[in-house]
Amino acid sequence: MAETVPYSEKLKKWDRMESGKFGGKAPVTTLYPFVDVEKPPEYRGIPHINPEKCVGCGACVNACPPDALIMEWDKEHGVKRLTYNAARCIRCARCIEVCPTGAMEPTTRFEIASNSKEDLVEVVEHKLAYCEECGEYLDFTERQIEYVKNILPKDVFDLYSLEDRMKLTQEEKMRKTVVTLRETEGNVYPAFVLVGESTKEKGGEE
Amino acid sequence: MVRTNDLEAHFGFECRACENGHCNKASLETILGEREGLEEFYEAFKEHIRECKRMTYGQYMFIIDREVLPEAVLWWHNHPKFKETHLSTAVGTDERPLDGKFVYMPFLSVQVEPLNMDRNYWMFLKAYMPADDPSFPSVAARLPAALWIEREVKDLLGFRPVDHPDPRRLILPEDWPEGVYPLRKDMDYKHSPVTEPKTEYRETPEGTSLVPMGPVHAGVEEPAHFRLFVKGEEIIDVDYRGFYSHRGIEKTGEGRLTYNQVLFLAERICGICGYQHSVSYAMAVERLADVEIPDRARYIRTLMLELERIHNHLLWVGIAAHLVGYDTGFMHAWRIREPVMWLVERLTGNRKQYGMNIVGGVRRDLLDYRKEEVLNVVKRIREETKTFLDIALNTNTFIKRAEGVGILPYKVAKAYSVLGPTARASGRRIDARLDQATKTAMAYNEVDFKVPVYKEGDVLARVLVRMDELFESIWIVEQLIDGMPGGDIFTPIGKLPEYEEALGFTEAHRGEVVHYVMTGEKNKVYRWKVRAPTYNNLPAIPEMLKGYHVADAPLIIASIDPCYSCTERVQFVDVKTGRVRILTEAEFNELSIENRGVF
Repeated sequence: MAETVPYSEKLKKWDRMESGKFGGKAPVTTLYPFVDVEKPPEYRGIPHINPEKCVGCGACVNACPPDALIMEWDKEHGVKRLTYNAARCIRCARCIEVCPTGAMEPTTRFEIASNSKEDLVEVVEHKLAYCEECGEYLDFTERQIEYVKNILPKDVFDLYSLEDRMKLTQEEKMRKTVVTLRETEGNVYPAFVLVGESTKEKGGEE
Repeated sequence: MVRTNDLEAHFGFECRACENGHCNKASLETILGEREGLEEFYEAFKEHIRECKRMTYGQYMFIIDREVLPEAVLWWHNHPKFKETHLSTAVGTDERPLDGKFVYMPFLSVQVEPLNMDRNYWMFLKAYMPADDPSFPSVAARLPAALWIEREVKDLLGFRPVDHPDPRRLILPEDWPEGVYPLRKDMDYKHSPVTEPKTEYRETPEGTSLVPMGPVHAGVEEPAHFRLFVKGEEIIDVDYRGFYSHRGIEKTGEGRLTYNQVLFLAERICGICGYQHSVSYAMAVERLADVEIPDRARYIRTLMLELERIHNHLLWVGIAAHLVGYDTGFMHAWRIREPVMWLVERLTGNRKQYGMNIVGGVRRDLLDYRKEEVLNVVKRIREETKTFLDIALNTNTFIKRAEGVGILPYKVAKAYSVLGPTARASGRRIDARLDQATKTAMAYNEVDFKVPVYKEGDVLARVLVRMDELFESIWIVEQLIDGMPGGDIFTPIGKLPEYEEALGFTEAHRGEVVHYVMTGEKNKVYRWKVRAPTYNNLPAIPEMLKGYHVADAPLIIASIDPCYSCTERVQFVDVKTGRVRILTEAEFNELSIENRGVF
């Protein structure tokens, strides 16, 4: 039903049903709980997580001012849990703004009163990726790694040999680096290691 | 310390402050020569001044010895040339983790020429105090405007204002133990101790009887406890106990939030002037990061601020009509107001708490087809308000109750640093929109409007000032829509400089809102001080009430448009549903502490 009219057209045409009454005579009120109040399309209602699009990166959790979004790691079961609690939400829509995949979807819902607290909570669980060397779970979800693979250009992959290192835990990565450094002992360090350090120092002096 | 130059090197920002020569690295002569009065002050207090610096454009800080604090504040306040200078507020900071000292810092808005934002400036007088003896000579003994702020730093930081005339508790609840100071850095923001309550009311003066009014105000439905001491019908003296809704917002903001998250907390300080708080806070952060926001963002912010002023003044005139017993006026004022709420709902996504702001710009653009709607709405409001005023000001009920009631003379208004329409109704020519350099965050320098001033100082004058302002606001909105520039609406800020200070300010419909921000490490806020206009206006209420009848008291109190939540920066409300049982006060306190954070 909603799909048939494009959003931009909907914005222009939407009109408040009471506004006609305001110019004329009384009554100006509506029988609110018994009639449906339609909110304008711009209204910021409570957001909703689309589990198909969510990659579990946690950008929304970092941005959320009242901690309505919480991220938990369950490394035993290999699960990363994203919880959204509408009762804490202040409807600032920051999560919608920062979401890289558009998984936080805006709605115009505002009537969230309910008999049980569970109705207000949305949970999305993600599978954690695991290290191919040691079999431990990583901090990232599988989808996150897929997402990064899709957006990073090929040269970056080649430069840092990401293809091999991506699915490793921090310890495994360090061990690998030590191994490669030992192999290349006596050689000059790769250029990018030095560049990163020197620019930092320059900035501090000024 | 990260300087603006480093920021430039790291993020490629243009440092406009350096280009124009307003950086805090400028030499003493340049700083003193920039604005009128600085040189004179420096000469007068030469041996007590430790350091001078420019914090940002139009904000100067002098580090002085604490012994001369009252003299220095009064030097500015009573300066014969700068007539409208007022003590804005003061900030107490626990800087022990940085340099082992406490800081007490009153600041004044110095008005070289009223309504000229390029000549006026903010003057910060910073005094360091050793950690083992945080005391300073009281300014309040000689200037009533400092009464509350000194009681506040005494409560929250444990400072000792020597010779303070009224050293009772102001902010903390009665059951808060002595010697626990919430804003000190060594206290965790979750800690909430409770002891036996101990009330400190003033003694009833001889020959008078007591009429308690509150703890909930009759008209504005917010908690404030006035104790009127009356002789017959006449009010002789007043005692005030408020801050029942202190939320500890400043501590929360300093504890765990990043600078963009604090913005949304700032917006929720007040129910109806939230956008003013949000803009003030954003302005403070933008000022200390030395970024200029795009013109379009400045215009959109100004537009929203003025729309907010329009509906707030209509709301207030409705409440005033209700309190004088003219309820028809109340209904009509709120009816006229409603389309503005609908308009802002479509512009921003919500009726109140627009969520429109972000540090560095705004979040929603104003789409072109919406411009027409804005003009339609304000046009209708202008017509309807004119009709409403015609009727209301010819209603005897209204005029007889409002005229000659609650007079606040100019001298008292100045001594208490009264702000906003309340001050303008008493003849003070101040308006933070034009007085101070709002041009970095708002577009008031590019529109033309008048600042209405009345000399009578009674409730009627306050009504008239607000209504005149409303028409000016409509005129501003029309100009803004007309001259709305194109372009971006947002400049990214990136990392904030560490331990820098700046002030953000706007003129809310009640007076000037001030947000002082000092940044800490890792994009957090080290000290955030909020001062809502009611904080300065409320202490002057006893002066307005004296000599009038008890029946006038609700109207006089409401005439400053008090907002207790703003003033008190209140705690989140927990509602315990389910079983109904009667709790004693202590049980209730325990419950509320246990259940904090559930929602």
